[in-house]
Amino acid sequence: MLIENTLPILLSRLDFAFITSMHILWTPVTIGMSWLLFFLEVAWLRSGNEKWYRLQRFFEKLFIVNFGAGVATGVTMEMAFGILYGPFSQAVGPFFGNILGFETITAFMYEAGFIGLMIFGWGKIGKGMHVFSTFNVALSSSLSAMWILVANGWMQSPTGVVLKDGLFQVTNWWEAIFNPNFNIGFPHMWIATLELSLFFFAAVSAWFILKNRHVDLFTTLLKPTLLALIVITPLQIFIGDELGREVATDQPTSLAAMEGHFHTYLPNGKPNTNWNLIAIPDVTAGKNLFSIQIPHVLSLLETHTWNGVVTGMDQYPVKDRPNVWVPFYAFRIMVAIGFFLFFMALWGNWLRIRGQFSAEKIRQHPNFLRLMVFSGFLPYLAVWTGWWTREIGRQPWVVYGLMRTWQGVSHMSVPEESLWFAGYIAFEVMVWGGAWYFFTRIIKKGPDLTSPVIGSEPSESAGGGIAQASFAKPTLERSR
Amino acid sequence: MNDISTIMRIHSSLGTFWWILLGLFFVIYIILDGADLGAGVFSLFLKNENDRAAVMASMAGTWDANETWLVVAGGVIFGAFPLVYGSTFNYLMVPLMFALWGIISRAVAFEFHVHAKGSRAFWGKMFGLGSLIAALFAGIALGATLQGFPMATGNAQGIQVANDPFVNTVPHFSGTALSFLSPFSIWTGIAALIAGGLAGTLYLCARFKQEDHIYKMAHSWATIFSFLALGAVVITLVWSYAILPSAAKWTGDGWFGWLILLVAILISAFKMMSAHAAHRDFPALLWCGAIVVLMWGGMWATNFPYIVPNTWTIAAGANPANDLAILTLFMTGFVPVMIMYNAYQIWVFRHRLTHLAGYESH
Repeated sequence: MLIENTLPILLSRLDFAFITSMHILWTPVTIGMSWLLFFLEVAWLRSGNEKWYRLQRFFEKLFIVNFGAGVATGVTMEMAFGILYGPFSQAVGPFFGNILGFETITAFMYEAGFIGLMIFGWGKIGKGMHVFSTFNVALSSSLSAMWILVANGWMQSPTGVVLKDGLFQVTNWWEAIFNPNFNIGFPHMWIATLELSLFFFAAVSAWFILKNRHVDLFTTLLKPTLLALIVITPLQIFIGDELGREVATDQPTSLAAMEGHFHTYLPNGKPNTNWNLIAIPDVTAGKNLFSIQIPHVLSLLETHTWNGVVTGMDQYPVKDRPNVWVPFYAFRIMVAIGFFLFFMALWGNWLRIRGQFSAEKIRQHPNFLRLMVFSGFLPYLAVWTGWWTREIGRQPWVVYGLMRTWQGVSHMSVPEESLWFAGYIAFEVMVWGGAWYFFTRIIKKGPDLTSPVIGSEPSESAGGGIAQASFAKPTLERSR
Repeated sequence: MNDISTIMRIHSSLGTFWWILLGLFFVIYIILDGADLGAGVFSLFLKNENDRAAVMASMAGTWDANETWLVVAGGVIFGAFPLVYGSTFNYLMVPLMFALWGIISRAVAFEFHVHAKGSRAFWGKMFGLGSLIAALFAGIALGATLQGFPMATGNAQGIQVANDPFVNTVPHFSGTALSFLSPFSIWTGIAALIAGGLAGTLYLCARFKQEDHIYKMAHSWATIFSFLALGAVVITLVWSYAILPSAAKWTGDGWFGWLILLVAILISAFKMMSAHAAHRDFPALLWCGAIVVLMWGGMWATNFPYIVPNTWTIAAGANPANDLAILTLFMTGFVPVMIMYNAYQIWVFRHRLTHLAGYESH
């Protein structure tokens, strides 16, 4: 058996996999929706149309619940590298540690420094300052995603370093930061956050329309959302294909696992161009026990030629092969979701072209609306399965080709790892359950259409301070 | 030879520079989030759920940024001192795990409490208890770090493979899950709670209107906490002098400097208590911050040249020179910027509240 699958190592992998899987549930909304909230706010300020303001304030409530959950699960991440993967952290410190340091200073803190102003600053700061804060939250969370993908991309395709004295010492910063995997992996993840947030918007809108509440308001939102999706969804499929080709070049074992591709050549000596639709893989025997194959598709996908050679698992010793079950099926689920979401974007825009997007007519398409609500959950599953493909496909390496996962695991015992696992299941499930419970509460309550628009009159709300008129000069209150 | 010694000098200067910045980030974290955590602990004394909500509302706009200074400190340890990061956090696995669970509970309680109806009391408790657990275990982790930890080379999991390039190079933590536990570390945990209680109540005094009942309660508790804290400081100093080898420098050649530091701390404590008694709440909070700066600075200076006493020196734990140079070149400029926008955010949310803030939701 692989060392990576023995108990202490496997448990350390599960420990880390669990906290990352639970953290990635929140970050896409923070990254993607902050841009959408910025656009809503700009739309309100430019047009003066109160609808955009109401929508911005409504989704902001969902945003902040999501943000709290993201912070709660995210602080752990910063510490978990050192706790669970101490020797890994030490070895990759010169590059990976620096990048994480860049991330906290230029992104994590940047975001925290403006999130309070964005959420609780209404009425306390001027409109210009507020929209600037929203913009900063959006920019900083995208920067955060960029640095994290730099670090993770480098683990997938480690360039620009040499291993010396047990440390990965950087020889070329440019090559290490703009590593081949990052260059495509980051756009793929960043677009995913936008796609997920847009479907979040679309699903909530569809739900309200189905319930016949605020139909006019949410139809207004659905239009630009679907228009954005008709660009985003096919773009994401295209970038995903590019990333697949990148993985085929730089991480052939991962690609072989994703495609269940064991034999580089067929028995007759020709390149194996078969793409497996579904398969029952057997890693130890080095073949599929059963599969439905389509010739030439694999070569078309990975090399963009009819008969190109795609490196199979048989080119690598058994000790260097990842698990196949998870990458193979997780990858397929992600791809299927990607195409389904593209289909939903097409359907929605087709309805719009046919003039069905008025408040009365849209309600005559309940199946579309129901499927749209369902589609709100699918991007989450796609993000999960995508990351599982990426991380399990990289095994048994933690830094691909250079450092094995077991070489990076901390000095800790099975009881410690179990305590971590059990504790985090309890706390992360509490976070997850709580956040979803309050999402549904806020959604059921619906947008607040009655309280006065901030800035139109002074109010004593928003944290208890006396709200200033826009652009008023702040004064320090005397204590006595 | 000359080249190498030049590089080593640059390396240790840059390492020391980041060690000082790290101290700065910790000080900012303790002053800001120490107050938030302490206010959370104090909120457990409040009977009315809406009063607890008012305490939460007072920090709604700033708690996240305050807490993030800890993440910045963690990021700087990872970025500048990864060898320290990878071994110390491994050593502190259990206390950090509990502290993180506390931080998780507190973070979600902030967002859930305002929306909750039936579960409002539950999230109120999670907020208070989360703050308490986080402060307690952060204090324990600090005490444990001051005592140092055992290290060894070889694979951390004891797996032996021929030609493993990662063994016999960087030492990793080699103790047990409970190595962190000692009477001293438990004491520092309790002391952290007392200090947090003081900072939290002084903070609430500065944030609530003076005629409000939350102000009155926080004011009398702050007086109690200030005497407790004075006692805790004396105990901690004596205990540290008895067991920490580096504390011997307090009575060494430079004793005069340490005496001045002690006098400065005592003056700040006196100024804090008299400002507090006179209801000059904001100056009292600032003097409390001054005490934190002086004491943390004193601790940092006591540890020098170690970053983790008797375990990692600054030079041994730091990244190679070129990495430190990159970090310095690209990140130093952001430090004043970070401080500025944080100061602005705190400035925006400086208004005094009443307990009625707890009846509002956003």
